[in-house]
Amino acid sequence: MNALRSWLATTNGRIAAAFLVALLLHLIGTTLIPGYSSPFAIRAILVLAALLAVASVGQTLTVIIGGIDLSIPFVIGFANVVAAQLYGQGWNFVLVCTLVGLLAIVIGGLNGLISRGLNIHPLIVTLGVGMIVQGLVLLWTKGFPSGSAPPAVSAFVSIGGSVGPLPVPWLVPSVAVMTALIVLVLARTPYGRRLYALGSNPGAAPLALIDPLKMWVVTYAASAFFAAVAGVLLLGFTGSAYGDVGQPYLFQTIAAVVVGGAALVGGRGSYLGTIAGVLVLTEINTLLIGLGFKPAAVQAALGLIIVVLVSLYGRERHVSQTI
Amino acid sequence: MNPVIRSLGEFVRGAGFALVLLVVLLAVNLMLNPARFHPAAWGTLIGLAAPLIGAAVASAPVILAGRGGIDISVGPLMGFVNAIVIQALFLQAGISSPLVLVPAALLIGAVVGAANGFMATVLRIQPIVATLGTYLILAGVTLTILPAPVGPAPAWLKAMAGPYSILPLGAIFLLWWLVRRTPYYDQLMAVGSDDRAAYTAGVPVTKVRFIAYVMTGVLAGIAGLMLTALIGSADPNIGPTYTLIAIAAVSLGGVSLAGGKGGLVGAAIGAIAIFLLQSLLTAFNVSTYVLQVAYGAILVAAVVLTALQDRHALRGVSR
Amino acid sequence: MAEAASLQARDVSLKPGRAAIAETIRAGEIVGLAGLDGHGQETFLKAMAGLETPASGKIMLGVEGNGRPITSLAKAASTGIAYLPRDRRSTGIFPTQSILDNFAISTVGRDMRFGLISKAERRKRYETYREKLSIVAPHPNAPITALSGGNQQKVLLARALALEPKFLLLNDPTRGVDVATRHVLYDVFRGLAADGMALVILSSEIEEILVLCHRVLVFREHEVAARFSGEGMTTDAVIAGMFGRAA
Repeated sequence: MNALRSWLATTNGRIAAAFLVALLLHLIGTTLIPGYSSPFAIRAILVLAALLAVASVGQTLTVIIGGIDLSIPFVIGFANVVAAQLYGQGWNFVLVCTLVGLLAIVIGGLNGLISRGLNIHPLIVTLGVGMIVQGLVLLWTKGFPSGSAPPAVSAFVSIGGSVGPLPVPWLVPSVAVMTALIVLVLARTPYGRRLYALGSNPGAAPLALIDPLKMWVVTYAASAFFAAVAGVLLLGFTGSAYGDVGQPYLFQTIAAVVVGGAALVGGRGSYLGTIAGVLVLTEINTLLIGLGFKPAAVQAALGLIIVVLVSLYGRERHVSQTI
Repeated sequence: MNPVIRSLGEFVRGAGFALVLLVVLLAVNLMLNPARFHPAAWGTLIGLAAPLIGAAVASAPVILAGRGGIDISVGPLMGFVNAIVIQALFLQAGISSPLVLVPAALLIGAVVGAANGFMATVLRIQPIVATLGTYLILAGVTLTILPAPVGPAPAWLKAMAGPYSILPLGAIFLLWWLVRRTPYYDQLMAVGSDDRAAYTAGVPVTKVRFIAYVMTGVLAGIAGLMLTALIGSADPNIGPTYTLIAIAAVSLGGVSLAGGKGGLVGAAIGAIAIFLLQSLLTAFNVSTYVLQVAYGAILVAAVVLTALQDRHALRGVSR
Repeated sequence: MAEAASLQARDVSLKPGRAAIAETIRAGEIVGLAGLDGHGQETFLKAMAGLETPASGKIMLGVEGNGRPITSLAKAASTGIAYLPRDRRSTGIFPTQSILDNFAISTVGRDMRFGLISKAERRKRYETYREKLSIVAPHPNAPITALSGGNQQKVLLARALALEPKFLLLNDPTRGVDVATRHVLYDVFRGLAADGMALVILSSEIEEILVLCHRVLVFREHEVAARFSGEGMTTDAVIAGMFGRAA
């Protein structure tokens, strides 16, 4: 028991535990619900998980640096609506994506600049900036966004899509590659090592030649960029623009990061852990809906499970042990 | 310096921008919309603002307690109280007496607050995660017992919507005034500003934080009653919308999210400022979209100005 | 060969109205900074590291009469100055990170191979300093918090030395370090000076300064109250300087 506990206290232990929970949930689903492991069901789970994984990149990075990003759902909605609107007006879609990506980087950079530069809690800054962004988009579209996704994007995320012989859409292998790249960036580049160091001890970072302001601006810009990518992918997934499409991702990204073993105090966590958290959340959702729970009950159960999982392996130290 | 003046000065510095904003917004509202802001209509206005004030005030104690203390389940808890009081107690069980309904609301608040406190202080789950769990549970349960809005509310409760909403608000501030006179208040602020130092000085950090969560729960229970009075019915979708705006109001009112700085009065001022902003923009007949942009802009501007002012003050001290 | 670069304080006033300090730190010497807590020695050390701007005057690095001003820590680091902070816990270690991470963070760009950090390269660099400083540690991937205070301090020293500085500024380097480790550190410091590095050591212990330093600046009320070197450097003289009495 004690050995298990100390293993769970390590980062790798937490990640492995989260993956095991996801697997366990899948096995439960397979026994309880006919067709739970059918090819179509697995494809659906993978696509939903991949979308959440893209949306959670930014939350992972900002949590490691010791912050949080509440603007993710707003930026998702922003990218979703703006991309559809401009494409609908006849713009070239590559140009649309470039513009949306750049705007997102500016929004995110602003989040980082204000939070770190003025030492204001990022919770408030990202919330305020997110609300402004969403309001501006609503103003621009007068609340009725139009337009649609180009067929290529829809095919990229379609549950029925395939990659050669693989029965999954391009989204799934792409997210797998993205995951590998992000893990590599975090583990093996100066940016990644500085990110963890800054989150671990903000007071020591400047003395170790880390520029906190630059790190925050870059990290929040990256967060918004990935949120924008998720927004465009969701446009392909749902087919039409919807400003609130990102709202479920507010809590889901935080939950995925935390279930994956990151500490919201910074310096800990990994994107692989977030992927595990994403799978756990997607499995829970699918399982409960499959068992006939109503969305409201699914939501309540999700809350309960987050709390149980985190109390198993995500506990903080007592104040007496921080002195 | 006279301690009263000094504490007044501290207060103005903390909630400064919200206070200035409040006065300016009040003046503009009075000029542009004299009918709505006629003294005779103030009762109605207070009633309209009461749930937001309640939500903001409820969010404050756990934030004051520091180390990431936050309760994002305040909004859904208000909605849950609203649903239980109307749907379960009034419509199904036929209870309408305030002597049952008020204690029931407070009890629900206290129990949920204690659950949050247990998770955040004893199990030591990060507060935002623990209360996120509570948020999802409460919102889900509320929707399950109350899939669609129902009404009405008991007559006495609906009557609380207008001028009488000053009563619960008054009760909250009387309670806070009493708390400020107990040693607990000093302990709360000490834990909020530096929990390690407080722990070393013998302050029971865990207990102090736990009580803050219970306080937040009870206050959210009262806010839930005020919400019920205002809407005169039960609606599962309104409660959760208060969470983020309440935290924004708290922050606007000079309560530091890092803990140990600010108070309930500042939170209330922040809430009133946001309410006045809402009325102003609706008076202009602008779309809710502009409202949304203005919310965000004012929030960011206020925290930025406060930060700049603090920085300036700090520089003045160190030189 | 040209004259070796020196670190110069030119008319540096630590507080408005205080007497200016002119000082030149040369290669191969160990200079001690003494004084009662808060009498300016820490400000002086930090100013030399580019961490604080003095009230007036300049910190320059270079040959006499021609040098580059030191105005920030980044500038200091790029010109060959390394600084070891005082409070290990709040401004030194990264508690969630490994020993290797803690060692390499200031020089994280130096292990790059094909755009990625080479673990082998990083490990190799660490091993040279581990031997040099006789760091007693389990696996280098173990968390830094698994080490004793003395060994944590050695890792932080290794971090500073990895910058390969010509000037090493140490802010109370043996604070909270056990006696055995202290003597290891003293030997290391002497060895570095013998190899031509200049060391400036702020210490709260006079004994340490006396056994280690070639000369000492005694600070009092944000001025250099006394300077001692060689035979004149005694406990009594330094204490007298600290308290503003003639020895």
